[in-house]
Amino acid sequence: MTTAAIDARGLGKDFGAIRALDQLDLEVREGEFFGLLGPNGAGKTTTVHLFATLLAPSRGTARVAGHDVVREGLSVRRSIGLVFQDTTLDRDLTITENLRFAARLWSLPERVARPRIDVLLRQFELLERRDDPVRTLSGGMRRAVDIARGILHQPRILFLDEPTAGLDPRARRSLWARIRALRAESGLTVLLTTHYVEEAEPCDRVAVLDRGRLAALGTPAELKQAAGVRSLEEVFLAHTGHPLAETDGG
Amino acid sequence: MSARAVYGIVAREFVRFLRQRGRVLASIGRPFVWLVFAGAGFAAVFTGRNQIDYRVYMAPGLLGMVVMFGSLLAALSTVTDREAGVLRMVLVAPIRRSTIALGKTLGATLLGTAQALVVAGLLLPVVHLRPTLAGALLGLVAVVLSGLALGALGLVLAASIRSIENFAGVMNFVIFPMLFLSGALYPVRHLGVVLRAVAYANPLAYGVDLLKHALLGAWAEAGYGGELPVLLDCVALAVFAIVGLALAASLLGREGGVTRTALRGRP
Repeated sequence: MTTAAIDARGLGKDFGAIRALDQLDLEVREGEFFGLLGPNGAGKTTTVHLFATLLAPSRGTARVAGHDVVREGLSVRRSIGLVFQDTTLDRDLTITENLRFAARLWSLPERVARPRIDVLLRQFELLERRDDPVRTLSGGMRRAVDIARGILHQPRILFLDEPTAGLDPRARRSLWARIRALRAESGLTVLLTTHYVEEAEPCDRVAVLDRGRLAALGTPAELKQAAGVRSLEEVFLAHTGHPLAETDGG
Repeated sequence: MSARAVYGIVAREFVRFLRQRGRVLASIGRPFVWLVFAGAGFAAVFTGRNQIDYRVYMAPGLLGMVVMFGSLLAALSTVTDREAGVLRMVLVAPIRRSTIALGKTLGATLLGTAQALVVAGLLLPVVHLRPTLAGALLGLVAVVLSGLALGALGLVLAASIRSIENFAGVMNFVIFPMLFLSGALYPVRHLGVVLRAVAYANPLAYGVDLLKHALLGAWAEAGYGGELPVLLDCVALAVFAIVGLALAASLLGREGGVTRTALRGRP
């Protein structure tokens, strides 16, 4: 486990005059559960979109799964799964139709996709609802389908952008149980962005982003020790100087 | 180029269309509304009455209109995909932007062609127009090529316009001039130089002209058939389709296609 799943050097992004991400140096190890923590607007989603080749960097470089995000976009996208902050499902199609659509976009042959979809639906307890339109599902179920969609092509790296935004506590718990099981099973690298500090506690390492800058980086224990505090919440406060967002999503 | 991804995009467009009953019925009923209302009015002032029934003259234009509504408006799905987030999922897939543009355009072509075939099956018997086999085949070519050109054009508009409200407004602005300057309702050659020049920048004009070659061959002598060479019509439509596809692919790939929506409301 010495190769880096993600390697960013001086990565930055501007939107007009707004510096969304300043100069990020970051290495995520293969198999790591990495948390990107920060208040709303800190640059978390921008960072994920840069890694996913949905944005072109304004400066710096990044390699994801060993591929350059600028020159080898297709190879990067082949190696990653991305669960967006807001659902990307077609509400008019059924669960199965959505997953089959994704399987085709990822060029999975039907004979590979079909059994894999069945397994995921069973794992995510969606079998009985498989032929229901997505618009009839609860938020928690939709999220589960989003995640199933994100791992259908068996990526090496999974990005979860604020995955629990808008979910009730029960749905959150079952989502984390699923992610844990996935990681135990496949050694998947997971990069999580969140502004809920407690969600970053189980991460191997955490980076705190604030206003487009890396404010702190380390294991949750290291960060707490360095700041001389007991909770990640206090670490977060110490580094960003402002309290956590109270609102969901965003 | 991933054939499976293209197939996935086309299949989804078709399934979505079939689930929208109102849209299916409207697309089939619309040309008949035009046939009855516009047909009655225009027939009264139409000077070629002795040579050709106006409703027969209108038939190729109405089929062209069906393709226009079918293929051009299919691009609406790209706008709704952007709003619903589906477009982001498509953009993060390991496929080229040109593959997405091709899939969307072929989907639009399929929708336009399917609607035109259904309408042709109902409309042609009603106006007592029986095309020859060669005419029917040329008609199919005309419908498919028009679908490609208009589908690509629709996608260019959809890729450059961000909101549904804007898209609807622009479409209304595009559709009616396009229809009136297509030769669907009256021959383009009667127009002044300027309008005629505009007509020849209109992909639908070539599609309708090709459909007239296909269906009104018997009235060509009297001056109601196609006005331009068949080959020119085909080449013009192909050029519109290819240029449109290239433009749409680059617009879809343009930064902000995904992310500006993703970042909306965020600093």
